[in-house]
Amino acid sequence: MEKEIRKLYWSKKLYWERYFQPQTIDEALTILEEFRGQAHIIAGGTDLLPQLRKKELELKALVDITCIGGLDEIKLEDGLIKIGALVTHNQIAQSSLIREKALTLSEGASQVGSPQIRNLGTVVGNIVSGQPGADTAIPLLSLNAMVKVLSKGGERMIPLTEFFIDTGRTAINRNQEIVTEISFPPLKEEEASAYLRLARRKALALPILATSVVISANLKKRVFNYARITLGPVAPIPFRAKEAEKVLVSAPIKEEVIKEASQRAVQESNPRSSLLRGSEEYRKTMVGVFVERGIRKAIERLEAKNG
Amino acid sequence: MAKEKIQIEVNGESVTLEVEPNEVLVDVLRRDLKLTGTKVGCREGECGACSVILNGKVVPSCLIPVMKADGGKVTTIEGLREDGGLHPLQKAFVEKGAVQCGFCTPGMILSAKNLLDENPEPSIEEIKVAISGVLCRCTGYQKIIQAIQSASKIIRGEEG
Repeated sequence: MEKEIRKLYWSKKLYWERYFQPQTIDEALTILEEFRGQAHIIAGGTDLLPQLRKKELELKALVDITCIGGLDEIKLEDGLIKIGALVTHNQIAQSSLIREKALTLSEGASQVGSPQIRNLGTVVGNIVSGQPGADTAIPLLSLNAMVKVLSKGGERMIPLTEFFIDTGRTAINRNQEIVTEISFPPLKEEEASAYLRLARRKALALPILATSVVISANLKKRVFNYARITLGPVAPIPFRAKEAEKVLVSAPIKEEVIKEASQRAVQESNPRSSLLRGSEEYRKTMVGVFVERGIRKAIERLEAKNG
Repeated sequence: MAKEKIQIEVNGESVTLEVEPNEVLVDVLRRDLKLTGTKVGCREGECGACSVILNGKVVPSCLIPVMKADGGKVTTIEGLREDGGLHPLQKAFVEKGAVQCGFCTPGMILSAKNLLDENPEPSIEEIKVAISGVLCRCTGYQKIIQAIQSASKIIRGEEG
């Protein structure tokens, strides 16, 4: 009960003791190690501060990485789009590179929270929080993104498909590791994408469900080559609807095929009934509707691109 | 807790402050600088009442550890005053009846200012997106949208 009340009435005081603003990643890693789990990285802080206020997390120190240079860029390098750890949702939403080469991510980022939240919150932070309805995680999964992680031991790359473990839990050790970048290949000529989201309001509402669709198709022959479809928050983590994707491999672009794929996506989703997000039945039905719309929208965009 | 010394440019004036490192910007603005135009609503970034402009971007000041603002530039509603009078946005809000209880007004006006600074001639849709981060429970938003449209014309010199 006390915990419930705390959730309703924020404590006015925040309880960290030290606030570090390191200039390099190495320095930040050293501080993280010194505090052995009692310190936390902060970038935008839009997830972290409410958690601290609700005392879901209690920390001795915050390590602010916003003074570290070179992490605030979106760039195209070695055939990959690379997003630094400090790139905000609004930077993504305003980037012409992302709009042209990864529209689904642009659409996801422009629907996070509110303009205020998008000015502060980062895409990498959205991933690291590990929430199933993260508006940038869902598109990034469909873009085959890779996560770059640095620690004292060196660098490792984790495919985003292996990054999410459970709600709020990811494959990184937050006491020793920092995500510095997320990267993915730009969409190809024969690919197009779409992000669709259902929420109670247009701003400051977490999605009831969201889907990102990337399709590759040969429009002359009217066949799909392949598709990548992701869903959230209809399971503990955002995920690829692999069975739905299989239906589309080399399949003709036809209504029955699209319907079949969306029904597979319904079977793959496992939403809970929630007062906030609706009943299980409703959400499952809407997964079908949204995947169908997403595939159609991606086809329309591919046609527009080639027409 | 050991206090830290920080320097912030608030509404054009540089101020040096001693703060506890676990405070957020909105509390320092209200308590230490007596800038109570910035309101405290939800303290979790949902209501927008505490919005200020930090380094050119409108942000919820309840989510900004004050240490983050060190060396930065902050504009609060008090900083909009022009030549001793009200800013065109403030005037338009008064004239169009866009202020009722007034609690959301500072956040609304600063959101609108941030919009007009980047986009002097916004569409209604763009205005709606720009103010979507601030909750208003009185006006139904219509008068606020009209006030922003009116101010945008005045700032562009079409009316006056």
